[in-house]
Amino acid sequence: MKKLKEVLRDWEAVIGLEVHTELTTLQTKMFCDCRLSHDDEPNTNVCPVCLGMPGALPVPNRKAIESIVMAGLATNCQIQPRSYFYRKHYFYPDMSKNYQTTQGPVAFCMYGHLDLEVSGQGALERPDNTVDKAKDGSYVAPIRILRIHMEEDAAKMVHVGGGEGRIGGASESLIDYNRCGTPLIELVTEPDLRTPEEARLFMEKLRQTFLTLGISDCSLENGSMRCDGNVSIRRRGTEQFGTKTEMKNINSFKSLHDALEYEICRQAEVLEEGGIVYQETRHWEPSKRRTVVMRVKETADDYRMYPDPDLAPFDLSQEFVEHCRERVPELPDAKRDRYVSTFGLKRADAAQLAGDPVVSRFFEEAAKAAPKAVATVANVMVNLVPATKNVLASQVASLASLLAQDAITFAQAREVLEVVDDTDLDPQKVVDERGMRQSTDTDALAVTVDEVLARCTDQVRQYQEGNKKVVGFLVGQCMKASRGTGNPKLFNQLLRERLEA
Amino acid sequence: MMASFEELSAVQIAAGVASGEFTATQVAQASLDAIADREQEVQAFLQVSEDLALQAAARTDELRAKGAKLGPLAGVPIAFKDNMHLVGTRTTCASRMLEDYESVFTATCVQRMLDAGATPMGKANMDEFAFGSSTETSAFHRTNNPWDTERVPGGSSGGSAAAVAAGEVALSLGSDTGGSIRQPAGFCGVVGMKPTYGAVSRYGVVAFGSSLDQVGPFGRSVADVALAMNALVAGGRDPLDSTSQEVAPNFLDGLEDSVEGMRVGIMPALMEHEALTPEMREGLVSARDALEAEGAQIVEVELPNMDSVIAAYYVIGPSEAFSNLARFDGVRYGYQEPGCATLAEQTALSRAHGFGSEAKRRQMLGAYLLASGVYDKYYYPAQQVRTLITQDYRNAFERCDAIMLPSSPTSAWRFGEVSDPTQMYASDLFTISSNIAGNGGVSVPIGLGSQSGLPIAAQLQGPAFEDRKLLRVARALERGIEAAGLFSPGTVAPDYAHRGGELA
Repeated sequence: MKKLKEVLRDWEAVIGLEVHTELTTLQTKMFCDCRLSHDDEPNTNVCPVCLGMPGALPVPNRKAIESIVMAGLATNCQIQPRSYFYRKHYFYPDMSKNYQTTQGPVAFCMYGHLDLEVSGQGALERPDNTVDKAKDGSYVAPIRILRIHMEEDAAKMVHVGGGEGRIGGASESLIDYNRCGTPLIELVTEPDLRTPEEARLFMEKLRQTFLTLGISDCSLENGSMRCDGNVSIRRRGTEQFGTKTEMKNINSFKSLHDALEYEICRQAEVLEEGGIVYQETRHWEPSKRRTVVMRVKETADDYRMYPDPDLAPFDLSQEFVEHCRERVPELPDAKRDRYVSTFGLKRADAAQLAGDPVVSRFFEEAAKAAPKAVATVANVMVNLVPATKNVLASQVASLASLLAQDAITFAQAREVLEVVDDTDLDPQKVVDERGMRQSTDTDALAVTVDEVLARCTDQVRQYQEGNKKVVGFLVGQCMKASRGTGNPKLFNQLLRERLEA
Repeated sequence: MMASFEELSAVQIAAGVASGEFTATQVAQASLDAIADREQEVQAFLQVSEDLALQAAARTDELRAKGAKLGPLAGVPIAFKDNMHLVGTRTTCASRMLEDYESVFTATCVQRMLDAGATPMGKANMDEFAFGSSTETSAFHRTNNPWDTERVPGGSSGGSAAAVAAGEVALSLGSDTGGSIRQPAGFCGVVGMKPTYGAVSRYGVVAFGSSLDQVGPFGRSVADVALAMNALVAGGRDPLDSTSQEVAPNFLDGLEDSVEGMRVGIMPALMEHEALTPEMREGLVSARDALEAEGAQIVEVELPNMDSVIAAYYVIGPSEAFSNLARFDGVRYGYQEPGCATLAEQTALSRAHGFGSEAKRRQMLGAYLLASGVYDKYYYPAQQVRTLITQDYRNAFERCDAIMLPSSPTSAWRFGEVSDPTQMYASDLFTISSNIAGNGGVSVPIGLGSQSGLPIAAQLQGPAFEDRKLLRVARALERGIEAAGLFSPGTVAPDYAHRGGELA
């Protein structure tokens, strides 16, 4: 198969995503009072409503509606005051009523968008110039969101005896209804994505947004956030959509990217060899790095959708929507811009810190404790903290202050962080106890510098003949003479001052 | 005092238990005796819950002994249609599908009757999943009309109506999706009320048509029905049914007030409808006269879209039924076909063999009507009819306080006499419009047919959530009919009056 880069020179990929997100931070299910659970014993959080027992009736979870409205506001959707729940029928035991309660043509949230900033290597995936690109190739891609609707999740089924937990060849199927009725929001994009990287970035941005809203733990790995990718390809310059395939089993950002990459290349190969792309659902196999057919859709399923007569039409008041709007916190993009403008952070660092609400809260706490060293705090968080187990914001603030005062080197900072990691030790104390603090007393350092220069006449001559690199050796001699207590940056500075004089 | 149990109204029983004239246990025993005496002929019950009844009665008696205030239905024996859950009983919906289904919770409507002190005597027969107008589609046995055991009791709440008419219980609950309370009440000569949609919680009642179903009481008098209505709404809006509404439990207030100056609408075309038997037409004339004699003013009104309601109903009803009954797949409960190789086979055969023919007919019809391409042609127009008929009612009720209609075109027919399903469906002609629009209706006996000698009834319908006023008009009709010597409230079917069930 050709490489993606080659394929995308001749072909344009058209990608749309369907993203299901469980509202895991709620206390109860969508239509009953059962507790939302993740690792409880199977079939312990169930009741007549979520088990679909005869005579039971659904009552909508107000908090879930709040969450979806917040999701809609955060993704620039229009909130529809009037919408219905519908029943979507299919006979399968993972849905206890044999219909799923979902929404019809009008969802709570319609017609939104998210703007993606694509840069670096990822931007190179897109060879065309249908978007405005900066000199470094980076660009902004506006991705339209068709809708976000509310629905209930199905039960979890485990097929025993077949291969890889699949139903084929299974001797038994077990059903755990704990998940049945979990509030789920489904976001559907317009087919505006053009590269696997854009798809990955969209998911990442959506995850950051939902995490910031606090409506879900958004775990792709555990399935609380699930993504299906629809992709087709067409010859560059043509308008007509090709036949699309749907990608399932995508449980990481990398899987999303790689599955789409594989599928684009596969479709190109099929078409270039004169074959036909069938509309089908394909399963991503991460270990083999390929997609395989799950099922072919010969006819569209008939779900016999109709408005659920057990649930009255919604009439969301302006007050309710405003109440939800007030609950939307500062979103990652706005936070990133604020970090850049108030703290002078690099845009990429600011985006990294602003993306995850836990990280940004940590950063802001540390920044508050070290107001004179905010840029250093950001530097430590971006470069050192990711490798730690459990450090405190106060420790990061303390460490950043030391760095900002040139009291320790960056290499020492890494060492200190390792020492204080998973403890409540104060980095300042550790540095002092271990005698790591480097002298910044210029007069004291100058004595050492003068002593070294007097001793190393050969190197001084070399420097003056133009070998400026030799200053490194001289810094080393100074460090040695001071038994490591001098600040190398200052030594360097003092040495150059004298050598240039 | 020696009294035959069935001579007592629910109001009298509750008063007698409260005053200590007799105990709830004595009443329960009398009801059990009456059931034992009559069931072989009437077959109103699918289950008699003797233990539950005696336990509940004993509790009532204990409460009284402690000096606690008793509920308004203290000691009143009641039967529940077998689509209502009551823990300790099976809820079969008269279907093989649920033959062994034990109730896992108690329906709100049932619980409220128990909370009011009523004594649960058992579960009443019905058409399978409430699909029918004669109780003949019950998978277990037929129920005989106590006025003539060769005739149907009506349906689908036929068991509930027959149990009250035969004097086995003082009250019962039924559900009404297209006339399933009002028509059997008429056939059995008792009062049956379908309250406004939303007045009574549907939680725990196995759904047929969710937007049409409404629970309501049967009694041998309007006063007993009003007493039961109070109990049904007394707990306030049910948080478990999001379509339920707050209704004040004041149905007995002003029940006896005169209807002087109130306007009752009639539709001349309907009073002369070709489907009506001559005796039914005569009966309606005497009902009109009785209301006039009570001081009501008769005015002519119109429901111009009445002709479309049967068509709309037989789109909406089956569509919702298909959807509501989809859950019966034999996986977790209900009939499961043994020995199937695949899930699809098990689902298909469990449903094929668990459901009777009418249940299958309605579900297949619903599955067709909701199919893509078909939905727009039928379901959508049916909902438009719904809007139109609701507007018709709104307009009509600007000119009157209640509308009088037949409750069915004929009196009770013989078993097997109506075999064509569409002919059976047509018997709902006068009742379904208020399920479509949601407003309340009540069926009141107006005498015995001049040809058949069987009970005939008039139906009164009121505006939505004006059920109290509706019962006041119904009481006036009952009073006027009694004054005219045509029928007396409290009447038990003649063959069963004074037969067993003595209060010791």
